[in-house]
Amino acid sequence: MPLLDLKGIVKDYELGKTVVHAVRGLDLNIDRGEIVAIMGPSGSGKSTLMHLLGALDTPSAGTASLEGHNLHELSENELVTLRGKKVGFVFQTFNLIQSLTAQKNVELPMIFQGVRKSARAERARALLEKVGLGERMKHRPNELSGGERQRVAIARALANDPEILLADEPTGNLDSETGATILELLKKLSIDEGKTMILITHDPDAAAIAHRIVRLRDGRVVQEVRNA
Amino acid sequence: MLREFFRLAGQNVLHRKLRSILAVLGVLIGIMAVVILISFGLSLKGLMTGEVAKVFGVDTFMVMDQDVMSGKHSGGMKEFGLNLETLKGVDGVKTVAAVRQRTAFVEGGTNGEGNVQQGFMPVMGLSPELLTDFAAFTGDLVFEEGGRQITGTDVDAAVLRRELADRLGAKLGDTILIAGEKSNEITATVIGILAASDEKQAEQGFASSMSSSSSDTIYVPYATMDLLWPEGNDFLVTVVRILPGYDVDDVADRAEVALKAEGSRVSAITSSDITSVIDQMMSYINIFLAGLAGISLLVGGVGVMNTMFTSVLERTKDIGVMKAVGAKNRHVLAIFLIESGLIGFLGGLIGTALGLGITAAACWGINTFAGLPAGASFPFVASPTLILATLFGAFALGAVSGLWPARRGARMPVVDALRYE
Ligand SMILES: Nc1ncnc2c1ncn2[C@@H]1O[C@H](COP(=O)(O)OP(=O)(O)OP(=O)(O)O)[C@@H](O)[C@H]1O
Ligand SMILES: [Mg+2]
Repeated sequence: MPLLDLKGIVKDYELGKTVVHAVRGLDLNIDRGEIVAIMGPSGSGKSTLMHLLGALDTPSAGTASLEGHNLHELSENELVTLRGKKVGFVFQTFNLIQSLTAQKNVELPMIFQGVRKSARAERARALLEKVGLGERMKHRPNELSGGERQRVAIARALANDPEILLADEPTGNLDSETGATILELLKKLSIDEGKTMILITHDPDAAAIAHRIVRLRDGRVVQEVRNA
Repeated sequence: MLREFFRLAGQNVLHRKLRSILAVLGVLIGIMAVVILISFGLSLKGLMTGEVAKVFGVDTFMVMDQDVMSGKHSGGMKEFGLNLETLKGVDGVKTVAAVRQRTAFVEGGTNGEGNVQQGFMPVMGLSPELLTDFAAFTGDLVFEEGGRQITGTDVDAAVLRRELADRLGAKLGDTILIAGEKSNEITATVIGILAASDEKQAEQGFASSMSSSSSDTIYVPYATMDLLWPEGNDFLVTVVRILPGYDVDDVADRAEVALKAEGSRVSAITSSDITSVIDQMMSYINIFLAGLAGISLLVGGVGVMNTMFTSVLERTKDIGVMKAVGAKNRHVLAIFLIESGLIGFLGGLIGTALGLGITAAACWGINTFAGLPAGASFPFVASPTLILATLFGAFALGAVSGLWPARRGARMPVVDALRYE
């Protein structure tokens, strides 16, 4: 059974009278441990797809299932819990909470799962050390460089030891050199920790770390390539 | 988890210092107003009950016309009839002092043109016991040189105020004629003239508080009153001291029953009766104050609401992030409610402290400069109930004001929140 299974997914957005068809009938399976890159021109529905894969949103039609749970059948609270435990997100704009230190940002997903304070602090420290920010635990986001912020975001994504890492253009706001080290880190982590990773990107270098590249256009899969 | 929410909310409050301070200020002013108004009311009550206790003590009660205390009769005192001997015979009564008042025809000396000065004036008869045993009722009256107070052995004696002495053309040692009912009349010697300059001090005494036209009043011994008007249906008030070991309310009840049984329309009033009248009055004042307080708190609450709307809007993206990493709607709701509650609580804390401080300073100022009657004090009352209630109320005010904005934040769809720029 694939970890993620999308069948006939449609996602429409209604904007007043016009309807935007962001995703128009999409089938996609992703197996455990796979690294999949999703590419495509701007507006092709990549971010929309990521939201559906990460159980942030529900499709207008079609079925999406995560580890056999049909997302349609889950209540909003069950979706939140599933997402909190199974999925870690890395965003293009880092999306750290400005008022919290790096450590607290990493602890945040654990707080909502009710992890005890000492366990939380210890895991946050370990994760920040793993991404090379052991010395920056008490820094706030505005005291960190872009690359460092994205490392904090990656540590946060790993906080609840999720099955899946979803990264939407994680290098989009970084210079190419920093971007390369972030990609290196993501690849290393997903291999070391056995995570499934879905990487949305414009960048062919980024796509190069994937086992498989899926190309989208106008809300449909137009090409799937396996990397050697 | 709740503790962590408090920490997160606290971070938010600290992170936007200026805005938080402004919202806190809004609550603070409201709470301060509430605390000042209520503490001041408590001080006022303290002053009044203190004065009542000073006059009454625990062993004294008064008998008055029943309509005066029940409020049916407005405009001060009202004469009534009773049998003083019945009152004296009630179990537990030690001393009884009475004040009677009548209007009498009075003739004084002659003026420069040889005309006799005369007119109708109120005449007040004072029991000797009133002067010896109930000094708190008469106050310290100041006499002009050579004058003195009425004593128990005086009969044909009178005490006047300076103004009246002038009008009657009477000097110390002169005689005035007082005509009572039928053909009863006496020639009384003026044994004392109350100094006009010390009116303020005399005001505190019994004489002024009992009669609105007191500067006209001629004070005579109780015995003289009996000679002029033998029928005792003109009592203004009687004051009763009880024997040690008796309960003042019990004795007062017995006295009232005994007097009413004889047809006297009177009621016996103890300090607790007066205190309950004061309480009643304070409760009206408090309703008024609560209205004022409500308005200022409403203003504070709107301030908090405004701040929270801004806060929710500003942190839309954070809400999206929190939800993406596993926050449920109720978690987001709780964090924002705690944040607005904290703003309220902070305002409450500072407002209560400032309010109490200002009230304490005002009480000190009044006691020091306002020239209260000798021995009276305007006490500063820091009520623990008030403090706890305002602190809790301020937190609740903040939380309630934050409810609407917090709900809006909590219900925001996660994808929309994440897209928000
Ligand atoms: N909340 C929304 N409301 C209305 N339309 C939306 C919404 N979200 C996405 N769309 C539309 O859906 C389409 C797909 O958007 P999406 O963000 O998935 O594209 P993308 O492939 O991620 O593009 P980019 O590479 O620029 O990030 C676009 O036309 C977009 O305008
Ligand atoms: Mg996108």
